[in-house]
Amino acid sequence: MAALVLVLQIAMVAQRRIVAHIRIFTAQSFLLAAIAATIAWFNHAPHIYIVAALTLLVKVILVPILFKRLVERIRISDEIEPIVNVPLSVVISGGLTLLGYVVAESFYRPDETNAPVSLGHNALAVAISLFLIGFFTMINRRKALSQVLALLSLENGLFLAAISLTYGMPLIVELGVFFDVLVAAMVLSILVYRIRETFESMDVSLLRKLRG
Amino acid sequence: MLLIALLLVPIVTAALSYFARRRAAMELVNLVGFSAFFLLALALAAQVLAAGTVTLANGFFYADALSALVIVLTAGVSLLCATYAIGYLRDDQQSGALGDEADGEESIARLRKYYTLTPLLVFSMLFVTIANNLGVMWVAVEATTLASVFLVTFYGRITSLEAAWKYAIIGGVGLSMALFGTVVTYYAAHLLAGSDALSGLNWSVLVQHAGQLDKQSMRLAFVLILLGYGTKAGLAPMHTWKPDAYSEAPVPSAAILSSAMLNCALYALIRFYILTSRCLGPEFPGRLLLLFGILSMGISVPFILVQKNYRRLLAYHTIDHSGIMVTALGIGSVMGSLGLMLHMTFHTIAKSLLFLCAGNVYQYFKTDLFAKLKGSVIKAMPLTGVVFLMAMLAIVGMPPFSLFQSEFLIVRAAFDSGHVLSAVLFILFGTGVFAGALLHVGGMILGPGEGDVAPFRPWREGSLIVLAVVLVVIGFWVPGPLLELIHRAASVVSGYTS
Repeated sequence: MAALVLVLQIAMVAQRRIVAHIRIFTAQSFLLAAIAATIAWFNHAPHIYIVAALTLLVKVILVPILFKRLVERIRISDEIEPIVNVPLSVVISGGLTLLGYVVAESFYRPDETNAPVSLGHNALAVAISLFLIGFFTMINRRKALSQVLALLSLENGLFLAAISLTYGMPLIVELGVFFDVLVAAMVLSILVYRIRETFESMDVSLLRKLRG
Repeated sequence: MLLIALLLVPIVTAALSYFARRRAAMELVNLVGFSAFFLLALALAAQVLAAGTVTLANGFFYADALSALVIVLTAGVSLLCATYAIGYLRDDQQSGALGDEADGEESIARLRKYYTLTPLLVFSMLFVTIANNLGVMWVAVEATTLASVFLVTFYGRITSLEAAWKYAIIGGVGLSMALFGTVVTYYAAHLLAGSDALSGLNWSVLVQHAGQLDKQSMRLAFVLILLGYGTKAGLAPMHTWKPDAYSEAPVPSAAILSSAMLNCALYALIRFYILTSRCLGPEFPGRLLLLFGILSMGISVPFILVQKNYRRLLAYHTIDHSGIMVTALGIGSVMGSLGLMLHMTFHTIAKSLLFLCAGNVYQYFKTDLFAKLKGSVIKAMPLTGVVFLMAMLAIVGMPPFSLFQSEFLIVRAAFDSGHVLSAVLFILFGTGVFAGALLHVGGMILGPGEGDVAPFRPWREGSLIVLAVVLVVIGFWVPGPLLELIHRAASVVSGYTS
């Protein structure tokens, strides 16, 4: 399942239309919720069920609705123009995935077999790759909304890292993180809306008045 | 009890301001709220001095001398900025900077935004300093960003949107790294007994068992944390949001961001530094901190020398001082930690004073470019001019002002502990900043030109006078309890590490 998440992340890099971008993000978040639920099932950790439910609520339902309404309000159907072209982006993402696996290797402890489900290793590599590819997507996109989506998918990577490394942070921390993600999504979408209204465009490379 | 009251006051203040209909009501609520907050902060400091640490809810909230010092500084700055803001925003309202008409719906809505978001910002800064759980601390740091984004867009100019966008995105990416670092820290601790519980990520627990944390993971965690909270503190090269955000936000907010919020970001960094140096020894985190600290000081020099805009000049100064404090943390000896805490205190006073002065000048002359300032500040606004110049002398480290003492202490600590290269660069960059800042600000304040004398405005000049008196007095005499608090905060840093 973790591998599928990675595939979706690379699909996001290759995607040119913003609505599709939002759909892929939704699917990815749904998979994350499923992974969290699986881990909860095998480890008999009830608090991870809550985390899974919250992922479902916040990232699969609320945030996509928020962004879809935003897209309707500002009526964008124009294509995303990446700075690096699509094939090259996919190749770069492949390289970053490789890097993710190399980094994750240093966390691997063969003697640690006390964990009931040892998905840790693979999932961590995927998580680090998600994080790196999220970074790359942020740099690669000029449109404000796709940068926000990249930031959120980067956060998805963190979430995966948290559940695969440590079976989730303490519940109160997860609650706080979800709250922050939700508020951040709202704040950023308001900013996107205002930028769109002011500049008649979402191209953040137009934001270049403040220098020095 | 005290902590609960401390947490409730800003929340209630924000709620009341949100529902207030008239400007006077919002001003009154904020003034009363922040006064109460300041008194409670003093009470907390007294309690910490008496008892050592204050905890609540099974150690979920935890305040030691370091937290208490940061809270007192935050509370002091926010009270003075609240009084200043009353005068500043009234003038804005009259001059039509907040909307089309002076009493229009739009300007009231803007004021409501200011008076609601500021207590929320203060609330999240408070939460940073008393959250024991490192994950909760991260949530609170992120909340400070979210609460202040719309303060940056306050005036709704095109440039404020740009500043807010950079602030939110760079801050968001930086903090995601800090979250990653927090996750890795939790992983480093997961072999400890009882790490599954809520307290598994509590700083006070982790610091006791720092030696048993997984070393490899802590190494990675500290790098991520330094990049993450370093972005929030505006360390180079992650500092680019800072001049934009500080020059676009309304001046009282900029004063809070550049002093209190910087302290909070450094506070988070200090907590992780203590953990890491207990786990890996001070060598590894110290070197990284020195690198980023000296780099920040160095990068700010050319920007200060060629700066055209005085609010951006102050922002680069904050980057410089953030570098100074991180350098002091990197040195890490007893003397270095003491220098750090003194510098944090003095910088908070001087920097907020500078921003408030800059606000007076900006509103009177309607420009923040040196070139467009027609007339001399000292003739038009004698008090602001004198205080501005004095605070500028203080912040570039002129004796007899207090920042000279703390910077001197830091340089001495650097020489003592053998960081000669860092110390030499510190002095070199300090000289550059000194020259640049005095060149610009001296010319601006003492320049030729006649102007009408501006009227005396008690709301603003009141805050100015209080801060200026504190700045002068503290150079010669630090009140006993405050000095004790600073010493104890410093020993929180150095006591655990050496």
